[in-house]
Amino acid sequence: MTSTNNRREFFQRLGVSAAAGSFLLGLPSLGWAASTSRKQRLVFLFSPNGVIPKHFWPDKEGKDYDIKRILKPLEPFKNQMMTLHGIDNKIKGDGDGHMRGIGCLLTGIELFPGDIQGGSDTPAGWSMGISVDQFLKNKLQENESTRTRFGSLEFGVMVPDRADTWTRMSYAGANQPVAPISDPYQMFDKLYGQTKNRELLASVLDDLVDDFKKVEKAVSAEDRQLLQEHVSMVRELEKELKTELAASSKSDSGHEGAVGHAVPELPPNVDTANDNIPQISRMQIEMLVNSFAADFARVATFQITNSVGQPRMRWLGIDEGHHGLSHEPDSNEKAYEKLIKINTWYAEQVAMLAKRLADTPEPGGEGSMLDNTTIVWTNELGKGNSHTRNDIPFVLIGGGLGFDSGRALKFDSVPHNRLLMSIAQAMGHETKSFGNPDFCGDGILTGLV
Amino acid sequence: MPTQNVALGDDDAVRKKGEAIYQAACVECHGKAGEGVPEFYPDPLLGDATIGELTELIADTMPEEDPDTCVDDDAAAVSAYIHHAFYSEAAQVRNRPPRIRLARLTGEQLRQSLAGLYGSFDSSPWAEKSGGIKGIYFQGSRWDKKKIKLERTDPVIDFDFGHVGPSKEKGIDPSEFYIHWSGSLLANQTGRYEIIVRSTCSFVMDFGRDGREFVNNHVQSEGRTEFRQTLNLTGGRAYMFKIDFFQRKRKTEQPPATISLSWVPPGGVEEIVPASNLLPSWMPATLALQTKLPPDDRSYGYERGTAVNRQWDESTTNAAIEFSQYAISELWPHYERRHRKDSDENRARLRGFARELVSTAFRGKLSDAQQKVYIDHPIDQTPDDSEAIKTICLMALKSPRFLYPTLDFDQSESQRVANRLALVMYDSLPSDRWLQKLIEQNKLTTEKQISEAAWKMNGDFRLKAKTQAFLHEWLELTHSVDVSKDQKKFPGFDERIIADLRASLDAFLDDVVWSETSDYRELVNADWTITNERLAKFYGDKWIPADDHAVGLTRSVADTQTRMGVLSHPLLMANLSYHQTTSPIHRGVFLYRKTLGRTLRPPNAAFSPLNPDLHPKLTTRQRVSLQTDEVSCQVCHSKINTLGFALENFDPVGRFRITDNDQPVDASGSYVNRQGETTRFDGPRELAQYLATSSDAHRAFVDSCFEHFVKQPAAAYGADTLDRLTRQFQQDNFNIRQLIINIAVTVAKQTQASK
Repeated sequence: MTSTNNRREFFQRLGVSAAAGSFLLGLPSLGWAASTSRKQRLVFLFSPNGVIPKHFWPDKEGKDYDIKRILKPLEPFKNQMMTLHGIDNKIKGDGDGHMRGIGCLLTGIELFPGDIQGGSDTPAGWSMGISVDQFLKNKLQENESTRTRFGSLEFGVMVPDRADTWTRMSYAGANQPVAPISDPYQMFDKLYGQTKNRELLASVLDDLVDDFKKVEKAVSAEDRQLLQEHVSMVRELEKELKTELAASSKSDSGHEGAVGHAVPELPPNVDTANDNIPQISRMQIEMLVNSFAADFARVATFQITNSVGQPRMRWLGIDEGHHGLSHEPDSNEKAYEKLIKINTWYAEQVAMLAKRLADTPEPGGEGSMLDNTTIVWTNELGKGNSHTRNDIPFVLIGGGLGFDSGRALKFDSVPHNRLLMSIAQAMGHETKSFGNPDFCGDGILTGLV
Repeated sequence: MPTQNVALGDDDAVRKKGEAIYQAACVECHGKAGEGVPEFYPDPLLGDATIGELTELIADTMPEEDPDTCVDDDAAAVSAYIHHAFYSEAAQVRNRPPRIRLARLTGEQLRQSLAGLYGSFDSSPWAEKSGGIKGIYFQGSRWDKKKIKLERTDPVIDFDFGHVGPSKEKGIDPSEFYIHWSGSLLANQTGRYEIIVRSTCSFVMDFGRDGREFVNNHVQSEGRTEFRQTLNLTGGRAYMFKIDFFQRKRKTEQPPATISLSWVPPGGVEEIVPASNLLPSWMPATLALQTKLPPDDRSYGYERGTAVNRQWDESTTNAAIEFSQYAISELWPHYERRHRKDSDENRARLRGFARELVSTAFRGKLSDAQQKVYIDHPIDQTPDDSEAIKTICLMALKSPRFLYPTLDFDQSESQRVANRLALVMYDSLPSDRWLQKLIEQNKLTTEKQISEAAWKMNGDFRLKAKTQAFLHEWLELTHSVDVSKDQKKFPGFDERIIADLRASLDAFLDDVVWSETSDYRELVNADWTITNERLAKFYGDKWIPADDHAVGLTRSVADTQTRMGVLSHPLLMANLSYHQTTSPIHRGVFLYRKTLGRTLRPPNAAFSPLNPDLHPKLTTRQRVSLQTDEVSCQVCHSKINTLGFALENFDPVGRFRITDNDQPVDASGSYVNRQGETTRFDGPRELAQYLATSSDAHRAFVDSCFEHFVKQPAAAYGADTLDRLTRQFQQDNFNIRQLIINIAVTVAKQTQASK
């Protein structure tokens, strides 16, 4: 906020409008690009069970890349998108492919020995280390200028209500999985509960005072004194709440470039149930964008179901669960087609988030929120029926990390730890290694910036 | 012994003469009606000294500048006048008769009422003997009736099955088994508890309600073996919990199977949750309010809900919001399921739910106007059920009809009686099914019906907890008191021993109150206590268990010389001691004020006790006598010290002693009662016998009990209430439980009369 004000003040002193500012900033002599004032944001968006590579990865590399069926919904963002092919999750050790797929995805380190047996391999417990989103959250929270109310937010969409290695992507540390919030109303309470409660309180006080007046009549004069004391306190509170709420709604509408209203409206009575996934996803996206706009957090995870997730996308005319389908061989044409549709639906969610961010001007800053946010769309597997953790889907959209986007990149089987290091560095926190150091020797990935 | 030297023939004339002297010579310092004068003598002249004692005092000390001017008949006349006009308790009642004051719920009452409101949607809790938790042991990794190998009550959860499993004899394969523990955890007192589960294996624990997840360690992961949760629990409530514990077969090496359930209760130290706090039954779902509530006014010696301020108001808002979350996520879905066959036209189910909630909170039927304001309006305002419930909770729980429990003048007689009984006995509202039934049938109108209902509440955990809280208050031994002592002088008197002493005292109080006779005299006179191995080791052979084979807390051997109920209990003796020495003054003040119910005015100034190092040759008794020797001190200390000295046989950690500072202990003492009669006793045994038989002590006990349970002065229920209840108490062989019933019935009957 301080830096924004400085910038505005600076323009004012120069006697130029804020709109002209972006032009001025392009001039190297003013050197603003090097300042750290820009808010950088990062979202890890997870969808499960691998993709259909043939209809996912572009054939052509570089700026002039082609967009396949699954990525079609993201076409409007072609210039702000990067596809990173050839990045592998090389973490070995305990746990089946799906477990290590999600548990090591953002942590880059092995799972502890444990008693959870998957479909193959040895049983395992939780991850041995912190995940990159939580690592960055801690770093941002340490610094006054990047500290926010929550630091990070963990959204879920129909993540099953059970804590196990397949349902957790984010870790606050070794053996400390972080549960995503899948109930939009619970998330709403976390974000806006206090404000909402103040409003609610203000709305009921009048009726309460009426009832106080009624009971007053029935008690002795001496006892009435206590009730009257109580009522006058309620009246005083009412007055204060009015002022407080008026002030906050004023500042919301006066917030330059901010969302129209500070508190999003959610549709009522939406159960956390399979058939409501599209609606829940929309509600969660809405709150994610709102909370970023309000600067509640700068890091988020957005986890659609879980590793081995079984959403049944009846709204696409698909009755089978996703994970079940993902095991079908490529020769099963029907299943193959359905898997393309399912993954396209996930891409639509990414696109919806990207669009909401692109349509929202950066509060008090330049450009859109997408210019300052990177969505990292990822997955626990490269391909469902082979359970490979090579060629993990990594699709980056937006300008949060400042990478040179609008390109399709191909790497030659590099460990994903190096990407995690690149992300940390782009967020301003260089590390010698992230996760298992054995996979970090070659440093950050080259060619991203 | 002082004698009454006022001619009894003409009280009025004597008082008239006294009044004239008082108005001429005393008003300057004491005020027109003894109210005090800030510059000279600010304290009001109130007390319980007899006219004779007052006369002596005035003759000796008043007026301060020339004590010789008001003596003999003059002193007697002044004394008779002030005693009658404003000094005595009778005069105070006459001048300003206490009345039943309107009060809001105290913090504890709010907690208990919300727990009651929550509980009203389920079956009611019942009383049950504690002693462990039910365990079902399965072969294999899941619930399979055919694979049950063992069912038993486990006194505590503290197991190291290693690699051999829970029972080879029963054929449980140690490499793959499942144990389902279920039961309830009983919180004896309200406060902050830390619950600690340690396990090397996978387990999941629910607490408070089936499905309310408390710890989820479904995934066993190396190094993750300790799970701590801190939460507020409400006293007298039993919290269902279940633990599903799994040793899973696997390809890799298995850790040895261990699990333990420990806690740190309020003011205690970490320990395995004892069997006495575990119940084998699964109690109905419970709500423990986590919202922090400000402490209540205690200036009258008991908690009163008289302070209405912003801090309290905000806490009631937070409490209402917290409650609404449970209403939305637990009560409403439960209600919907139960009423799924009912019509839901115009959201009738939600209205039905709201009506049940609000009428229970308001302790009675809703009027049409209330139905409109508290139910229909909020529901019609929003299509979202959760938001409607939140609004309804906020309104109802901030309404005067909930917060002021006695504003029920428009309700039926039975309802009002039930409201009083629940408030007095449980600090809660009448939520139990059987009680609601009696209200519906209007069967709480005769004294017999009321008394039967009160008896039915007897033995309930909620009443037990309130009774224990009363006794803690009576002994001034709440869980926050610090009784630690100089470690050099009293090695071994550590946190662990203190925690054991707390458990010992509580078990002793429980044993006495909930025994058949429930005899008050046992409290001050019993020749046994509750002990365990550690206490026996520290306190010696008078503390060994009566039954050699008993483990844990158990009854000690009897000993009349060193033991007299709570009086000799080390927790009390330590609390009434300094860091290195005893404090006969604290002990005496405690006995005079609390146990005998007498009044003392505050000391003339704050004094530090004389330093024992400067008087190396004196015993504590001698040192105290030396310091309080002056006439102005003796006004009160002649009453205090003589009581406190009688307990000099107990050192600062409550060990029995016969010498102090290498000299024999002098534990002789005396007491002058309300009637002016002097009793002398030699040592604690005679003191205890006196307290068991003294009318002053009986009256004080009844008075404290009344105030704790009712939170109003006894005199507000009629000038002779205290005397009547005391007489009844004596006639009932000092039965404490009967006393509580009598108090509750008194309050209920007053409510009927006031209608």
